[in-house]
Amino acid sequence: MQPTSELDGSALKARTFGSMGTVISLTVPARALGTAVVPGTAGDGERELDAAAAAVERVFARADETFSLYRPDSEASRLARGELSLRDSSAGMRDRYADALSWRLMTEGAFSPERTDGVLDLSGIIKGYAIGQAGEALRSRGIADWCVNAGGDVLVMGSPVPGSGASWAAGVVDPLDRSALLSAYALGGPCTRRALATSGSAERGDHIWTAGSCGAEFAQVSVAAADIVTADVLATAIVAGGTAMLHRATEGWDIDVLAVRRTGELLATPGFRA
Amino acid sequence: MRTRAAVSAVLASGGILIAGWQSGVHIADTSSSVASGAAGTTGATGAKALGTDGSSGTGTTGAAGTTGASAKAVGTYAGPVVQTRFGSVQVQISVRAGKITDVTALQLTDAERKSVQISNRAAPLLRDEVLQAQSADVQTISGATVTSDAYLNSLQAALDAANL
Repeated sequence: MQPTSELDGSALKARTFGSMGTVISLTVPARALGTAVVPGTAGDGERELDAAAAAVERVFARADETFSLYRPDSEASRLARGELSLRDSSAGMRDRYADALSWRLMTEGAFSPERTDGVLDLSGIIKGYAIGQAGEALRSRGIADWCVNAGGDVLVMGSPVPGSGASWAAGVVDPLDRSALLSAYALGGPCTRRALATSGSAERGDHIWTAGSCGAEFAQVSVAAADIVTADVLATAIVAGGTAMLHRATEGWDIDVLAVRRTGELLATPGFRA
Repeated sequence: MRTRAAVSAVLASGGILIAGWQSGVHIADTSSSVASGAAGTTGATGAKALGTDGSSGTGTTGAAGTTGASAKAVGTYAGPVVQTRFGSVQVQISVRAGKITDVTALQLTDAERKSVQISNRAAPLLRDEVLQAQSADVQTISGATVTSDAYLNSLQAALDAANL
């Protein structure tokens, strides 16, 4: 048998699909897919990746069916129209609502599950929750090295080079030039932080309400945390709550933050420092 | 009826007086113990009272009283280095007139990752001071949510296409 070259060992395989109005990418090292690097059986690895991607897609599809306000037939839409009360809603809906209320309390209102018109909007935590569930689905399939990216929010496990202990290198987009990277952050591997979420004040999705009338202080906020819901919610909360929320977040949670002011100035915790 | 009301009123006010007297004694106790603890002399409370009484007129006794008290009751004191679950911590207190006016940390450890939180404030940084990366060096990209349409032109799409 030919020795496996380093290039083969570090090769990545990706699958993408659309859900929740954005694109979800699953990236897995070819070597993590069982026998993929043994010549002649590469097809098994591809099939394993297809099956894993289908499992991830199902997780997102199910969350979208229940929680999307863009689908008139979703449970969330029926709640919004008043056809259904929270008391009669599904356990999943009530659990996420409880999560969202607890986040509102912890962020002193910077994160809110309600739109300004009073409609319950859980989209601020549903994507993060679905990413986490997708991760569980991958783990339960016995895949120990993977990266899920849902519209720029990232959760990883293991390493891009299985067995090497190397971290996944995640880039952070420059909000002033989206074709360039502003910074990088190491996720997974030996690092306890496996999640990186970025929120922008100009992003699609209307779950960010800024506290002040003068608009958002930050053009973009990235938060690295151990779990994706914490990273996602706090990134949203800091965009909405500005510098005061930024300092509350770094004091209250074990996170790293990179925030870009509208003027282009940066604020960062030591973890983002070169 | 009227007498009974009067009697109960007297009893009630008596009760208040006793309670007041008791709490007064209690306050006096704590203040003297704080003062003696800080100044190390039992006469500290008296000296301070004298100083405030005669502050406008006789400067000498007042001044003597305050210098005597301030030598010990005013100033900053560093505590011992204490081991906590976050690592070693040393606290400094500022005392004025026998009262703690400020508490600051002289020493906080970065030994354990969790303790870094204490000094994990986000600070202004220049662009070339953050961790740098080229899109060729990363396996995934974090950015504010892109729509399915915008994905086409995104760096993530390029990475995904390369790995398909």
